[in-house]
Amino acid sequence: MFPRRSIAGRLVLLLGIGVGCILAAVVGYGWRASRDLLEAETKERILAVAAATVARIDAVTSGVEKVVRETALLMDRFPLTAEEKAMLLEDKLRLHGELFGMAASLGGTALPGTVPYVYRGPGGLVRTDLASGAYPMQIMDWYTIPRELLRSAWSEPYFDEGGGNAVMATYSVPLVKELAFAGIVTGDISLEWLTELLGTLPLGSGYAFLLSRNGTFISHPVRDFIMNETVFSIAETLGEPSLRELGKHMVRGGSGFVPFRDFSKKERDATPSHWLAFLPVPSTGWSLGIVLGKEDVLAPVAALSSIQLGLGGAGFLLMLGLVLFVARTITDPLKRLEGVAGKIARGDLDVPVPDLSGGDEVASLAESFTRMQADLRTYLAKLAATTAAKERIESELRIAHTIQMELVPKTFPPFPDRKEFDIFALLDPAREVGGDFYDFFFLDETHFCFVVGDVSGKGIPAALFMAVTRTFVKAIAKNASAPGEILARLNDALAEQNESCMFVTLFCAVADLSTGECAFANGGHNLPFLLRRGMAPERLPRLAGCLLGAMEGRHFEEGHLCFGRGDRLFLYTDGVSEAMNEAGAFYSEARLEAELARCAAADDRFANVRSLAMEIRTTVDRFAAGAEQADDVTILVFEFR
Amino acid sequence: MAAGRFFSGRAILLPFLLLSLSLLAGIFLSACEAGSQEPDPRAPGPDALSVRLLLQWNHQAQFAGIYMAFEKGFYLRRGLDVRILGGGPGKSVPEALRRGEAEFGTMFLTAALEALDKGTPLVHTAQIVNGSSLLLIGRANRGIRTPEDLRGLRVSLWGDAFHGAYLAFFRSLGVTVREVLQNWSVNLFLRGVVDACAAMDYNEYHMLLQAGMEPGDLSLFRLGDYGFGFPEDGLYCLASYREASPRVCRDLVEATLEGWRYAAAHPEEALDVVMRYVREAHVPTNRAHMAWMFRNILPDIVPSEGAEVPWRPGVLSREDFERTRDVLLQEKVIRRNIPYEEFTEGASPRVP
Repeated sequence: MFPRRSIAGRLVLLLGIGVGCILAAVVGYGWRASRDLLEAETKERILAVAAATVARIDAVTSGVEKVVRETALLMDRFPLTAEEKAMLLEDKLRLHGELFGMAASLGGTALPGTVPYVYRGPGGLVRTDLASGAYPMQIMDWYTIPRELLRSAWSEPYFDEGGGNAVMATYSVPLVKELAFAGIVTGDISLEWLTELLGTLPLGSGYAFLLSRNGTFISHPVRDFIMNETVFSIAETLGEPSLRELGKHMVRGGSGFVPFRDFSKKERDATPSHWLAFLPVPSTGWSLGIVLGKEDVLAPVAALSSIQLGLGGAGFLLMLGLVLFVARTITDPLKRLEGVAGKIARGDLDVPVPDLSGGDEVASLAESFTRMQADLRTYLAKLAATTAAKERIESELRIAHTIQMELVPKTFPPFPDRKEFDIFALLDPAREVGGDFYDFFFLDETHFCFVVGDVSGKGIPAALFMAVTRTFVKAIAKNASAPGEILARLNDALAEQNESCMFVTLFCAVADLSTGECAFANGGHNLPFLLRRGMAPERLPRLAGCLLGAMEGRHFEEGHLCFGRGDRLFLYTDGVSEAMNEAGAFYSEARLEAELARCAAADDRFANVRSLAMEIRTTVDRFAAGAEQADDVTILVFEFR
Repeated sequence: MAAGRFFSGRAILLPFLLLSLSLLAGIFLSACEAGSQEPDPRAPGPDALSVRLLLQWNHQAQFAGIYMAFEKGFYLRRGLDVRILGGGPGKSVPEALRRGEAEFGTMFLTAALEALDKGTPLVHTAQIVNGSSLLLIGRANRGIRTPEDLRGLRVSLWGDAFHGAYLAFFRSLGVTVREVLQNWSVNLFLRGVVDACAAMDYNEYHMLLQAGMEPGDLSLFRLGDYGFGFPEDGLYCLASYREASPRVCRDLVEATLEGWRYAAAHPEEALDVVMRYVREAHVPTNRAHMAWMFRNILPDIVPSEGAEVPWRPGVLSREDFERTRDVLLQEKVIRRNIPYEEFTEGASPRVP
């Protein structure tokens, strides 16, 4: 995972990553949390400012509403002359500074002769008559809407040309007599003061704007918007349906605090970089919007975060330095120990181990090193002695092996001057000294004895037992010429002195070379195959006879056969039939039989005993396919000619 | 300001001098340039004939071609020093013509017929708008799907020259409505006072959209679809003026039509000019609205490329005139059966 580098380096890297992540998480979380907090706080503050502003506007508008309603009531109750009406309106205007103008038109749907209108001119109150001149009163919104609805209403803001000659909104109270329109009393407010009021709000770089019921800008820092643009016309110009939806929400009396793309900026943002808080003005149906730049609001958070990042970064670097220093105090002694260990590994057991004081883990490691050095010296000394002993034993084993191999006849053909038979044998010992053996010799001029045996166990004991057995066989065969007797006497001789409870299997045959007759006995050995010329191999019959050396006084049955010319007898040990391959399967007697049959069927490739023995040996090796040879492999082939 | 703190005493003098010199050089150069440039196409020469043209309404895109004819010098090239006078509520074109406050005026065909009938001796010189923009807009959410749905409901109409067309429209359908007079705003409709209002497709309809209404909220009835669409803006003057100065009339008409063709080919430039006129006259409107108006009125003045129209730009067809006149007669808006020749050629002594 990490490149191979020093512990100090890895420590710094891992701690750097870990602490760096924690630092980033802390600063990131801090930034987020304080941003959210500030956002929530800003939202609350701005909505509070908006609510206060709406309350101030509402105080003025509902004040106007009250005055107009009272005046209407008064005029409805008491019939006044035109002059008295005008004077009353003037008095109201003097008393209520928020009013820009007032008008009274009494007398039903038919226009009365005079409609007194009093408004604030540049030099004081001005009195006019709306019924005279070209003022189109009967189609003005402030007149028609309340007349038709028979309900008080605020007009859309308008420029009152020929009346007050100012941008104003008019509150109209209709007089109703017997469910019919009987006149109207109005009060105007100039919209100039609204712009002034919104300009004084504590909004920093933010600003406020006011929309009429139709979405027209009544107030906005961009003066060109006022009375000209509606929020919908802006949405149309910018091609922003979302602004149109927002505008609808606003003019329908909705309130909210939403991310916002400031439409009055020349450069449009790709993402909303502002917030818009909006609240309705209940009396007039207007909507107040307050726009704040996110950047301005979040500037303190950004500053705080950069300070946090700076401090954290400095602390981070300091910590890395300290970690590097501490790691060095650990790894430097380790490096010295490493040098010592290298020298020890190269065999210099006397190199001095540095004396590390301090009693920490590294110091105790150094102590262990010293101890290890001493232990190694002791161990090496012991090892040298053991190795010498082992080498002696091995050398002795090698010698024993050589002796074993020398015990069996090795020269083939052994009797080149005897033409009536041929014999070949091979013994491939396993890695250790094994217990297989074979032997053959003449009992007299015409009787030829040959044996194959297998001593139980392996190693020196087996070799010695084999040597003893072989010696016995040769000695006994001098006095007894029948194989059964040979085996019986051999058994007795072996059993007599068998302290170590070893035993041997043995097959013994005696052939009369003059007649081809052959007697044989078996002491628990694998049954040899008789290979008659031109016929399938046949196993010799099973004869009574047990392992040799286990128990005295056993009888061994004797079998007889008669060789024809070219007949062969194939003797082997279990090293052949029980040879194993990697998969743990045995070579098996059946396979041996099959291989022998194949060889018999072949032409003269296996014409002599050596080639047959070697072929079978080859099939065994092929079968084992490299698996280690577990037991001695012994094959003896006798051929009568 | 900040720079001032770094320069003090003598050190500030050099850059100041350099700045002054470059400013002077700039003024000199621009003066030379102005001198070598062609004269302002709007600046009248000494021989130009002074003519006043009163628009029937506030400055807006409805008159874009007239502005372009002035701005591009099409009037002046014909020796006419035209002054364009903005109209509006309370300003009557026939009255201004009668009083000699303007030589020319624009008017709806119906308004001109009415004025002639009432005694203003005016004459038609050119038909600028050859189509009809009149609509009746109903509130779809109040179940207004056909004009018949308005039976007995409150409908706001203009009280002036468009009135007759609406009356005829309702009469033809046999529908009686409660009529409320409306002004130039759409507030009666927006406040829900009326269930339907009179409107023009290039103006009030878009004003409703710009007040947050959706096209789906509105049921549109185009008077033209019911046979009550009449040619609209035309150029008029007193018959006596035409008698005396026929060439001026012809030149004014030609220049005006050229102005419209120019506006059609350069819509953005025309809109820029419209917005300048609108802002100078403090007309409360916005560019998006003016663009809508321009787009919607233009095909009735200069046929769009490839469009087949049954009229020729600038010309009032006899058929359209007689159809309009007959409806006004039937509605008793006018009493006299004014002949086409009199309307277009003036009540000359040749007619007995």
